[in-house]
Amino acid sequence: MSSTALRKPDWSERLEAVTSQDLKAAIRTLAGVIDAPAAVGLQTCVRCGLCADSCHYFLDDRDLRSIPAYKLNLIIRVFRSQVAGPGRAKKRAGGLDTETIRAWVDALYGRCSLCGRCTLNCAMGIHIPAVIRKGRAVLASLGMVPDGLDSTVETARTSGNNMGITREEWVETVAWLEEDLRAETGDPRIRIPMDRRGADFLYAVNPREPKFYPLTLTAAAKLLHAAGRNWTLSSKAFDVTDYAYFTGDDGTAALLAGRLRSAMDELDVRSLVLSECGHGFVSNRWEAPVWLAERSGRDVKSILEIVVEDLRAARLRLDPDRNPKTVTLHDPCQLVRLGGVIEEQREILKSAVRDFVEMTPNRKENFCCGGGGGQLSMTEFSARRKSAGRIKSEQIRRTQARIVATPCHNCLDQLAELNKHYRLGVEVRSVLELAAQALVSDSR
Amino acid sequence: MTLLRWAVVVSGLASLAALTVRLRSAWAFGRPIDSSAPKGRSAEGVGYALGRGLLPWEKESARRHWMVYGAGILYHAGIFCALALLAAETIVIPLPEFAVRVLRLGLAVGAAAGVGILVKRAVRPLSRALSRTEDYAANILVDLFLLAGWAATLTRTATAPFLGISILLFAYIPFGKIRHCLFFFSSRIFFGALFGRRGVLPPASKAC
Repeated sequence: MSSTALRKPDWSERLEAVTSQDLKAAIRTLAGVIDAPAAVGLQTCVRCGLCADSCHYFLDDRDLRSIPAYKLNLIIRVFRSQVAGPGRAKKRAGGLDTETIRAWVDALYGRCSLCGRCTLNCAMGIHIPAVIRKGRAVLASLGMVPDGLDSTVETARTSGNNMGITREEWVETVAWLEEDLRAETGDPRIRIPMDRRGADFLYAVNPREPKFYPLTLTAAAKLLHAAGRNWTLSSKAFDVTDYAYFTGDDGTAALLAGRLRSAMDELDVRSLVLSECGHGFVSNRWEAPVWLAERSGRDVKSILEIVVEDLRAARLRLDPDRNPKTVTLHDPCQLVRLGGVIEEQREILKSAVRDFVEMTPNRKENFCCGGGGGQLSMTEFSARRKSAGRIKSEQIRRTQARIVATPCHNCLDQLAELNKHYRLGVEVRSVLELAAQALVSDSR
Repeated sequence: MTLLRWAVVVSGLASLAALTVRLRSAWAFGRPIDSSAPKGRSAEGVGYALGRGLLPWEKESARRHWMVYGAGILYHAGIFCALALLAAETIVIPLPEFAVRVLRLGLAVGAAAGVGILVKRAVRPLSRALSRTEDYAANILVDLFLLAGWAATLTRTATAPFLGISILLFAYIPFGKIRHCLFFFSSRIFFGALFGRRGVLPPASKAC
């Protein structure tokens, strides 16, 4: 059998096979995913274009297709002609066709990181990334998710985490990390507990942590041990990420988010604490209750909120002199602008580093690094992603900081790429790493 | 004249009714129940979204494009002047001379701002590329409304055309982008409620 026959067709090849029945089904999907805020937003855009300068894609390439209003209006045209219009209008030709789908993939996946900066700058307050997600859901229903992102979601769906780490690998990795941690700290009591029933909270990590960034996992363990926290990992469900958030496929997103909640129930744990992850925070904290139609919300927090609690209660002591270099902070869009965790990481850094300098702009107005929205997994858009990251790179350069801290692993990866691409000469570190480095404990 | 005034009233009420039906149709798409534990308060977010959040220094887009923002404010101020004049003309309330002068000024400045926005849309390449025929049509219709109102403050012979254009405008509103006159509030409420609940708005501290 030829390699061509074995290879799964990419999305542009799959586009050629889309039928009129598929398109009709896609319209039904659009009608099904639209909710009241989206329906109002899709009828409120006045195409003023004030959103343009808020978008890092547009600021980089000055291309019409990168303007948030343009992306929104790709969906508006189909919505108005096929969903919202009176009966007869819906029978008008046009709306969703293969050329439109191609334009949707390019704009909704290739020119958007779902960062939400446009929303805050929209005079009408349209939640543009939420609407973009609905467009992505339509594309997902047609099998038009870019392959890298699609395979990441599929890996998470079938293996339990987006990196395909087996349960055995996970348990073994945590065991040797624990061993290393005891050797490093000289503290035989320090644990990275697994499957501890009745713990106060279940901690979920980014699979990149055990695979590539074990320092952030051990950093969390040090801080939680020093604060005397009663926590646990789960051997079955540990993935904080939910890449289906990026595809708009709420059914799969619910499935993935539901696993952590099931693990909480199995271990009789009341709270869920999330590692440094932007979209993972929004997914598990804010969106999962909707996806899962939960009757009452779970207690879900970011690890940053836990560390701040411990700092304020004097359960943790940090020595900022252990981090003497100038540090700036990149605000992950999902965590900050869309998630509401804005000051906690600042409070931690101000205790953990000697010289903290803010970027301009910062907090909810900070620019996206370009790594969100599933961009890191979509190789066909990587050149554009790096180019759009120029805006963030310039922000970093202006701070003259030596270290860029950020509480999100996707941002860490993107910033590391930008560091190399634009020769920024900075170190890219997670907030937890810096906090753990500054930790003053009896065993050190 | 009386027939024309009645037509204005009927078209205005019909426009409002049609807008309300459209808005309710949009709401009918429903909102899923959100049981996530709020971090902030939706009501505070809504208050911000409809109040302080509209001020020019609260949004980067307004700060960066203060002239466009200002033109928009003047344009909408002119529209409110035109609506006030329309109400007075329709119900036949004689306005004091001072009020007429204020309205006249507001209408003139508003119309100029509207024309400026129209020109910007037509001349700037990206604005032109983003725009549709409806964007120009809506702007021209409103500009004519303001200009007719301005003329009506100068001479009684312009009153009938002003009322006539009002009827056209009311007939158009529910079907085009000008429906944002009502949808705006709903959009801002959804925006404020979401970001208020998540503790993002109102901002605790000003961004640098």
